Parts: sequence; C-alpha cells; structure tokens
Amino acid sequence: MFGLLRPVAAAHLWFSRRGVRGHRPVPAVDRDLPLTVVDRRLEAVDVVSLTLASGSDLPPWEPGCHLDVRLPSGLRRQYSLCGDPADRRTYRIAVRRVGEASAQVHSSVRIGDPITVQGPRTAFPLVGAGPHVFVAGGIGITPLLPMLRASPAGYLVYCGRSLDSMPFLDELADLRDRVRVLTGIPSAEEILSSAPAGASVYACGPPPMLDAVRAAWSGPVHFERFSPPPIVDGDPFEVQLGAGGPVVPVSGVESALTALRRVRPETVYSCGQGFCGTCRVRVLSTDDTFLPCTERATGRVVLDL
Amino acid sequence: MSEPNLVLAPRDVAFDWSAVPAHWVPGEPLVTHVMNTLHLVLPEGERWFVEVFGQALPHIRDERLRQDVIGFIGQEAVHAEAHQGAADHLAAQGMNPQPFIDQVSWLFRTLLGHRDLPAAVRHQWLLERLALIAAIEHFTAVLGRWVLEAPLESAGADPTMVDLLRWHGAEEVEHRSVAYDLYMHLDGRWSRRVRAMVVAGPVLGWLFARSARWLMANDPQRPGGPRLRDARRAARRGLLPSLPALLRATWRYLPPSYHPSADGGTEAAVAYLATSPAARAAAR
Repeated sequence: MFGLLRPVAAAHLWFSRRGVRGHRPVPAVDRDLPLTVVDRRLEAVDVVSLTLASGSDLPPWEPGCHLDVRLPSGLRRQYSLCGDPADRRTYRIAVRRVGEASAQVHSSVRIGDPITVQGPRTAFPLVGAGPHVFVAGGIGITPLLPMLRASPAGYLVYCGRSLDSMPFLDELADLRDRVRVLTGIPSAEEILSSAPAGASVYACGPPPMLDAVRAAWSGPVHFERFSPPPIVDGDPFEVQLGAGGPVVPVSGVESALTALRRVRPETVYSCGQGFCGTCRVRVLSTDDTFLPCTERATGRVVLDL
Repeated sequence: MSEPNLVLAPRDVAFDWSAVPAHWVPGEPLVTHVMNTLHLVLPEGERWFVEVFGQALPHIRDERLRQDVIGFIGQEAVHAEAHQGAADHLAAQGMNPQPFIDQVSWLFRTLLGHRDLPAAVRHQWLLERLALIAAIEHFTAVLGRWVLEAPLESAGADPTMVDLLRWHGAEEVEHRSVAYDLYMHLDGRWSRRVRAMVVAGPVLGWLFARSARWLMANDPQRPGGPRLRDARRAARRGLLPSLPALLRATWRYLPPSYHPSADGGTEAAVAYLATSPAARAAAR
C-alpha cells in the first residue's frame, strides 16, 4: 500500500535534478552586535554590573532575556539582562565572580572597552496575567528584576547568603511592599509561605533551591533548565575518527564532543548531557556505541566516523 | 512577548505507561487510535528529521539558526523516543504495531532516505526534503496548538497520555519556525515550498486514515471499523481536529509572505510546560 508513494518520491527526485538550475549560494548572516562598556559598578561583594551601548537604538528585549557575551579570551557566556526594557539605548548585565569567565569580566573589562554580544534571546519568558511570584537566589535576581517591574502585582522573594552579597537591594527600595528579603538558606516552605494559591512561580538561583521550589510548589513553575556541568577532573583519552583516521586528544576538562567539534564542526549533537542521543556513534571493532557528550574512555576509542 | 526570541533545548522527560489503558479516551476507540497514529509514525518520522537536519547543519551560515537547529534536533530526538515508549506499550497490550511501523520505516529510511546522486543533485534532494519537513512541521504546530486546548480531560482521557501529547505539542509550538527558517535560509524558492505542502498535506491525511484503520482492525477488543461519522462527531466535541480547520491551516501556509511566527501560541506553550508533570520533572 505504501508503494503508492513511490511515484511521489520519484517526482521529488525529478524536481531535485531540475532544481540544480536556479540554485543560489547561501548568504552569511551576521548576528554580532558590537557594543561598548559605558558603565561598570560594583553592586555587591563579587558582583559587578556592566552597562553596554552602541550609540544607536538596540534590539528590543523582554524580562527574562539574556545576551550571549563574547569575552576578551573568546569564551562565550550568557548573562541575563537586568536593566529597563523601555531604555532602548543601553543594556545592563550583572556578573558574579564564580569561574574562569566571570573572573575575566571582573579583572579585565573596563569602561570604554569594546564587547561583542549576540541576542537578546530568552529561555525564561514571563507569560500570563499572574499572580506571579518571583523567587531569586543570589545572582539569580538578574532576570527577575525586570520581571518584577513588568508585573504590577508581582511579588519577589529574594534569598541570599548575607545582605552584602545580594546585588540591587538599593534598587528594590521603592518596591519594598512587594519584596521579601531572606538571608541564610531558607526552606522552600519559608520561601513560598506568602505565595497565593495558583500563583505562577518564576525561580532563578542555585540548583538546590530550584529543586526545592519545584518539589514544594504544585502550581506552575517556570525555571531555566541546567546547562551541562563543566568537566573539571576527567581522565584524558583519545578518539580516533575511523580506522586509520585522525586521532583527536580529549583533555581532562572537556568532553569528547567538544574535542570532536574542534576537528568536525558539523558533528550533530544537541543536549550535551547524555539524554537526547543525537551524538551517539558506533565504536569500530565492537558492537557498542559511544556517547561523546558524556561518556569517557581509557586509552583510545576508534569511532565509526 | 515577541515570538522569535525563544531559545530551544530538549527536555529530559520520562513517562510511565504502566497504568495507561488500551482505550485511553474511554469509550472512544476511534479518537484513541487516530492519536495512537502518532506513536506509530512519529518515532521513525522524527528520527528522519534528525537525520536530514544533521545533513543540513554544515550548510548553515547563521549562528542563531544553527543554535535553533541544534535545539530542534534534540527536541525531535526526545519526542521520537517518548512516542516509541507509547508504541511499545501498545505492543505490550497485545496489539503488535510492528508490521505497520515497518512500512513507515521504509517510507522514511528508503524512499526519503539518502540517495547516491551527483553532489549538486544530492544537495537539491536535501533541500527538497527540508521543504517537506517545513510543511510537516506546519501541521505539527497546528496540531500542537490544537492539543493544548482540546477538552481531553473532560472526556476522561488518561493523564499520562494527555501530558505526552501536550508536552510534545508545546515543544512543536515552541520550535514551529525552525524548519521553515532553515528551508528559507538554504533555499527559499516559493514553488518548492508550495509543492512540498501540496504533497505533505494529503499524504499526512492518508497516513493518519490508514493507520487509524489498521489499528481499529488489529485492536484485540474489536471496536469495529472506523466510520467518518464517528470522526465528525468527535471533531464536533473537540476530541479530534476538524477537517475544515486543517484545510484552512494548509491554505494559510501558501502565501509568499507567510511566516510561522505569525500563528502565535508560544504563551500557551510556555504556560503548559510550567505545569506539565513530565516537563516540570525534567531538571535538564
């Protein structure tokens, strides 16, 4: 019965042969946005904010959006926009010093420096009429700050280790009746104690806090999902691309996928965390498969690539 | 919210099928089996999407579109495995869908698979298939929007199955522009886009009708043959999409100025994902 589709496929093949004529090359699309650092402030212990501008109107954004920032070393990181969406001339981001990339922002980005970004895009959009309850943990305040301003009846629970580690407390002064500040490590029950039933909770902060809030709240919960954790102390090994093919070393601080993409940028992958399976390849000489995004090997593994 | 800004990433979902009954919309074998078609067709179909998009990846010259395509590939791969789980559950209930799945597999892997062709023609064959995927994705987005609002709970539908369909539908709405944007970026010829829709629309309809008939015929509970009258009645109750609505959606795809972002639905999709048991349990 499916054989009826044979002539349909044949027609597509015929059109493929005919389509060669009239083919046009694909134009490159430049997504880079060259900006300049116009302000830099210390917002809290280990937190610095950068205000960026280009001299003309910037692409519009909404609360929850982030920028993809290319750092001087070439590293790329995403930072939430925490300024005012109505201000079309500047973007503001805030960075806590936690790792290699953020240390670069703290040590080597100065007022007047050029900085290239892409975006804005969002993985954390604010939707619906509310009631909205925003739960921030430390630097997780950044996307929620513009959300609180955009949601007139919204309510913010802002948690942090100590007051001096919490950025933007001064900016929240005029919203005092819509903000609760909790220090230490409050329980999810304490965090959600003033949330009205049926509220949509928007949570941003450290993973244990997100897990606790997701488990404790039965209504809608919006959160940004975790990106792959960095690899810090893996054993180095090698992958070979086919019998007799090039050998690619995999260092102790990267995945085989990262190493593969260096030599084969067209490698297909997606989640980077071992669950979607799109990067799975066959291992030569055995019937096994290998998942370059999470699996490691000892010595050398020869892949069917 | 503005539509085209959403970052796409797969969600690590899991479903427990053990308590899902054979007729998961009680007393509605036809509705059950029309939607069960998804479990028979999508695993192979979505693996084919992943394969074809993987072949398109090296040709992309737009960093943002590349990120979208990578997110799309992961979402489709997870959809395929989720529906595979539901198909395996059908088999466990005494309805072996393998003969039908084998035909679907032949359609995607052989008929629409890789062909040994001269390089220039092989590239056009890739574009031809990207145009087909863009047309199919138009329907998955239409059905995604539909399933987010369909009154399935009030018909007593099984909550696990409803969550699978709505999580999947929401992600289809989330990524509804990607296949279209990819086709427009790599080719964009209107004639090819329209031609692909003229083929994809009727073939999808035929596939659903055949699969529903096959499932009804092979259902050990012998619910009888599928009748058009039952389908119309279910559509009136909102339990199946209506044919006029699908035809209108097909028509909407045709103008040169069409873009999927205009169809909306992102808010509803994002709102559902915040309540979906499967999506909420997925920390990554």
